[in-house]
Amino acid sequence: MTMMSSSSSLGSSGGEKFPVGMRVLVVDDDVTCLKILDQMLQRCRYRVTTCCQATVALSLLRERRGGFDVVISDVHMPDMDGFNLLELVGLEMDLPVIMMSADGGTETVMRGIKHGACDYLIKPVRIEELKNIWQHVIRKKKWNESRELEYSGGDDSDPNRRVSEDTECASSVNDGADGISMSHKKKREDKEDEDDGELDHEDPSSSKKPRVVWSVELHQQFVSAVSQLGIEKAVPKRILELMNVPGLTRENVASHLQKFRLYLKRISGVAQQQNGIPSSLCGPVEPDAKVGSGGRLDFQALAASGQIHPETLAALHAELLGRPSGSLVFPAMDQPVLQSSRQGPQCIPSERDVQFGQPLFKCQSRITKQFPTSGIGENMSADFSIWPSNYLGTADAIKNVGGVNNTPKVNMMMQVLQQQQQPYPVVSEPHHIINVQPSCLVVPSRPSNSLSVSQGSLLLNQSSIGVQSESSNKFQSENSSGTVKSSSNINGVPEYRLPSLSNKASLHLEQSVVGDTTNIGVLNGSSVSFSSSLSSYSTSTNSGTGSERKAGKSFDQAQARNLGFVGKGTCIPSRFAVDDIESPTSEQCVRNTSTGDDGARVKQELQLDFTDSSQVGGSTMLPHFSSNNFMSVLSEDGLQGHFTEC
Amino acid sequence: MDYSNLQRKAAYLRKSLFDQGYLDEQFDQLEELQDEVNPNFVEEVVTLFFKDSSRLLNNIDQALEKSPNDFRKLDTYMHQLQGSTSSIGAFRVKRECTLFREYCDKENIEGCVKSFQKVKREHAVLRQKLEAYFQLLRQTGPVERATRASN
Repeated sequence: MTMMSSSSSLGSSGGEKFPVGMRVLVVDDDVTCLKILDQMLQRCRYRVTTCCQATVALSLLRERRGGFDVVISDVHMPDMDGFNLLELVGLEMDLPVIMMSADGGTETVMRGIKHGACDYLIKPVRIEELKNIWQHVIRKKKWNESRELEYSGGDDSDPNRRVSEDTECASSVNDGADGISMSHKKKREDKEDEDDGELDHEDPSSSKKPRVVWSVELHQQFVSAVSQLGIEKAVPKRILELMNVPGLTRENVASHLQKFRLYLKRISGVAQQQNGIPSSLCGPVEPDAKVGSGGRLDFQALAASGQIHPETLAALHAELLGRPSGSLVFPAMDQPVLQSSRQGPQCIPSERDVQFGQPLFKCQSRITKQFPTSGIGENMSADFSIWPSNYLGTADAIKNVGGVNNTPKVNMMMQVLQQQQQPYPVVSEPHHIINVQPSCLVVPSRPSNSLSVSQGSLLLNQSSIGVQSESSNKFQSENSSGTVKSSSNINGVPEYRLPSLSNKASLHLEQSVVGDTTNIGVLNGSSVSFSSSLSSYSTSTNSGTGSERKAGKSFDQAQARNLGFVGKGTCIPSRFAVDDIESPTSEQCVRNTSTGDDGARVKQELQLDFTDSSQVGGSTMLPHFSSNNFMSVLSEDGLQGHFTEC
Repeated sequence: MDYSNLQRKAAYLRKSLFDQGYLDEQFDQLEELQDEVNPNFVEEVVTLFFKDSSRLLNNIDQALEKSPNDFRKLDTYMHQLQGSTSSIGAFRVKRECTLFREYCDKENIEGCVKSFQKVKREHAVLRQKLEAYFQLLRQTGPVERATRASN
């Protein structure tokens, strides 16, 4: 709907309550019906505009964007097929469209529904039926709002609508902190996402495909494509080409991309928000896992959003997702993403854009801040109170990270993370790139407060990582190496929800609930102090684990930071396992103070909560840390890389 | 005739239209929509209907003559007619339209032609009756609309 998010924007007349004054556009070539409908709708106290030609109606809609709340259209019209009009309206204006026809045959009705009609009325239309059409308006609005909220972390859900289109996002449902106007886009985007249909090739001719559901795999491919192209260069067309998914349209990709960007922004914003993250977590992350698995790491989203270098993201993603070695967070993901092998300290020369790094830290569920491209560190410091200095370093780290092209991205992330964590002593491992094992998603299992996981409980739990509970399974599998099992959370954790995981509002990160602290993906023993690092988590909770979950906001930042760093001892969730990313400047690893491990860099796996319609199966792991758990987890040295794969 | 007689007549006519199936409950809906703001709504709609439907009937006539094998086209026209007839509650006309379309589906041109004659006939009959009805109404004012069945 173009309009509104606020009821006031809904067509209301004279201060009367909606649905009075709802603005309806009726299109029908039959003048008799048109007259009757006009009268009926007026009787319902709507504001009616009638049109007997579809082409005229379309131009009217275009001229007066936001001027209508709902469209009622006949199916059979001489100048344009009603279904065509339906699609165009849905695509361009995102308005609810009600079809009507004397033809009430199942097939025709089915077509209508598939084309996205909100309702289908069979002529002769009775006034009683018209009295209730306002519900479609509300429903759509609500849906959009909730999608926005979900994505408020910048999730870009991909609405069917063309993202690229300049939607008039009239209102912005303000999703929480964000309030980005993108929310509109999200709305639209949401629509697409929300629709869980499979790719529907039914109407190839139409410009808008029937809703596409962004499954985990699909999203992985998307993220991978984006990382390959580089966030700046990732244009829908190229992405589409790279993805090579039959039936997927450029519009689908475009809207998904937009959502993804939002998501990344959100994450980075989240990271910034978190301030209270205890810096304790810091541990070098053991570089073992390679970033491999492509799980859909939200990082990719981050990358896509330009905040994080795609590669970094990819690396992280991979790590998170599934690093082979570590417990992968997303087992399933195969990384389309980068695969960086995480190895080794790569402190990748920073080439650049450190920016990405930031997001890591900032994983906030709501992106409130923009990451400055260059100075990640700056952001960090600002945001993370916990790791005050550490983050500064991140900038450097990030740089390093950035440089890696296709090197283990994870490493990069780690670096970034590490850098961020810089002040922490932990960085014992020089440039230890945080080994974020994919599986190790540091997910603070505990609510953020506990972030302070002092022990560096980086919970990289994979499971907890943003992967939605469902997906969390993925993690678990991966994480073989001593992951800490995070137990149940893990599921919850996966914060990284790429697809809009449900409406969980918690989306973002929250989900990652790191299950209970157990999750800890662990970081290798070393203290991953993330806790806060998981910035992305904001919430986590989702999982039942209850406690942890939520990495809470506080975690977010801290966690985010920490996440990356998994102490040596800790098992970094495979996802993160940034292999020792060497941070150029200093290892910023989040050291797990408690464990004393140096530098377990925990790669913080940002759980990008990219909620996409598809669930992220775990691909995105948002590090979800429940700080408490985390810490505890981390502290155990034994935890090596336990990530519990959820 | 005196007023009350006229009223009675109008009411009677209305009732018979329903009873004989010329009109169905959709016509009630139209009457419901009539109010002080639109006091002649029903008549206006009916007038519009006949004007538009005459045009469609002509189209079908011509199509039957010139391209009798184009059943799709015939069906399309008839579909349009069917939509408006159902909207005003012209039950019998609508019924004939449906039959016509069935013949189109079967591509039975003879059936179409015959059926079309019926459509036209019903259409003409309804027109006459409604014209008479409205005339009465003009003379007497709106007939109380109780239920259809009742007077």
